[in-house]
Amino acid sequence: MGYNWNWGVFLQPAASGGDTYLGWMFHGFKTTIALSLSAWLIALAVGAVVGVLRTVPNKWLSGLATAYVEIFRNIPLLVQLFLWYFVMPELLPESLGNAFKQSNPFMQQFLSSMICLALFTSARVAEQVRSGINSLPRGQKNAALAMGFTLPQTYRYVLLPMAVRLIVPPLTSEFLNIFKNSAVCSTIGLLELAAQGRQLVDYTAQPYESFIAVTLAYLVINVVVMFSMRWLESRTRVPGYIGGK
Amino acid sequence: MITMNKVSKHYGAFQVLTDCSTQVHKGEVIVVCGPSGSGKSTLIKVVNGLEPFQSGEIIVNGVSVGDPKTNLSKLRSTVGMVFQNFELFPHMSIIDNLAIAQVKVLGRTQEVARDKGFKLLDRVGLRAQAEKYPGQLSGGQQQRVAIARALAMDPICMLFDEPTSALDPEMVNEVLDVMTELAREGMTMMCVTHEMGFAKRVASRVIFMDQGRIVEDDSKEAFFENPRSERAQQFLAKILHH
Repeated sequence: MGYNWNWGVFLQPAASGGDTYLGWMFHGFKTTIALSLSAWLIALAVGAVVGVLRTVPNKWLSGLATAYVEIFRNIPLLVQLFLWYFVMPELLPESLGNAFKQSNPFMQQFLSSMICLALFTSARVAEQVRSGINSLPRGQKNAALAMGFTLPQTYRYVLLPMAVRLIVPPLTSEFLNIFKNSAVCSTIGLLELAAQGRQLVDYTAQPYESFIAVTLAYLVINVVVMFSMRWLESRTRVPGYIGGK
Repeated sequence: MITMNKVSKHYGAFQVLTDCSTQVHKGEVIVVCGPSGSGKSTLIKVVNGLEPFQSGEIIVNGVSVGDPKTNLSKLRSTVGMVFQNFELFPHMSIIDNLAIAQVKVLGRTQEVARDKGFKLLDRVGLRAQAEKYPGQLSGGQQQRVAIARALAMDPICMLFDEPTSALDPEMVNEVLDVMTELAREGMTMMCVTHEMGFAKRVASRVIFMDQGRIVEDDSKEAFFENPRSERAQQFLAKILHH
């Protein structure tokens, strides 16, 4: 194979912007992190609320929550992204839509990507939250209610603290997924990590170096996520409980 | 203190309770027994509104349980309940299990609540376990904590739903001892239990249920010496023979 390895390519000045190619990569890396973390925080908040609503004894609320989950987890992520980026601005009130279209392109891409990833992931988080709550013994809810807790207090002090502990491992997968899924956002032109990798190939004709670097960067993110979630799991372990020490 | 008047409940077509009427006066200890599926647990769960019912009326300390305007949380905070599977909150230490509802429901300060918790733990002989977690205690210890947790709310009466059924035989007595002491101190109690020894020692009355109906509701002497219904005779013959 006549491939010319050239790891020095990363230190060469990039074609534009007065930066090195490594700088481009690092910029994409930062965008991926910012996008995924902000989307993850929204997904956790929305997913927790929707997941709880799926378990409440009210047909309307739980029905609404079920519809939410089914919509966001059954439409392909890529289609959702196109809907948020291309269709949503047209559906907004005209002044708001125009303001969006006149904002800087990076902002448009970033916002659409963040909302898309957040809501897609929130449906999956909601399912984990629901299954966590449902896996608790039924008597826990009764015991809390019998002591005079209201239903919101029962969730706040009794059901959720245990349910959240139980779902840390599956939530870790969702957290990892959101970083990997963020690569889809390169399709609307957002220059995140994967897009910078591609751009590097176009400019330097060094695909191996470029994608090895991209792969390593994703690997670093995921290892950090995995270890921090593992740390969280051991920190919140309940003494004497099944799976505890 | 507790009045039930023609209470009926069904899940779909399945009748769980049919026209159940009884009264529990202050200081009485009522033992509810009967074969499995006879509606015993449901009978005491309707008292604090954990199970809804379709017809009839239940009055607890002057408050109607079935009335949609009733603040059920407030009513429940005055009625202690102990469950078959203890249902301590596993993520909280023992003392926090005792304190949390006092703080969040009754509005006591953390300090007052913990003080009261420690006193009650002393009373059930578990002061030394206060900082442990439920999963680190035996079943009998957990159930004693559960009783202390209910008492921490200063309940006007206590409901027990088969409190010893999930325990190893050697732990049954430590729980029954706590319950006996409570009964002797004059606590109003409704206990679903198969512990006929306990019933003979402390019950004021025994309610025998079969197929969702209250078949017998009599003093313990009358119930154990000459049960009127054939069903209760059969039940006692089986349960007292081993």
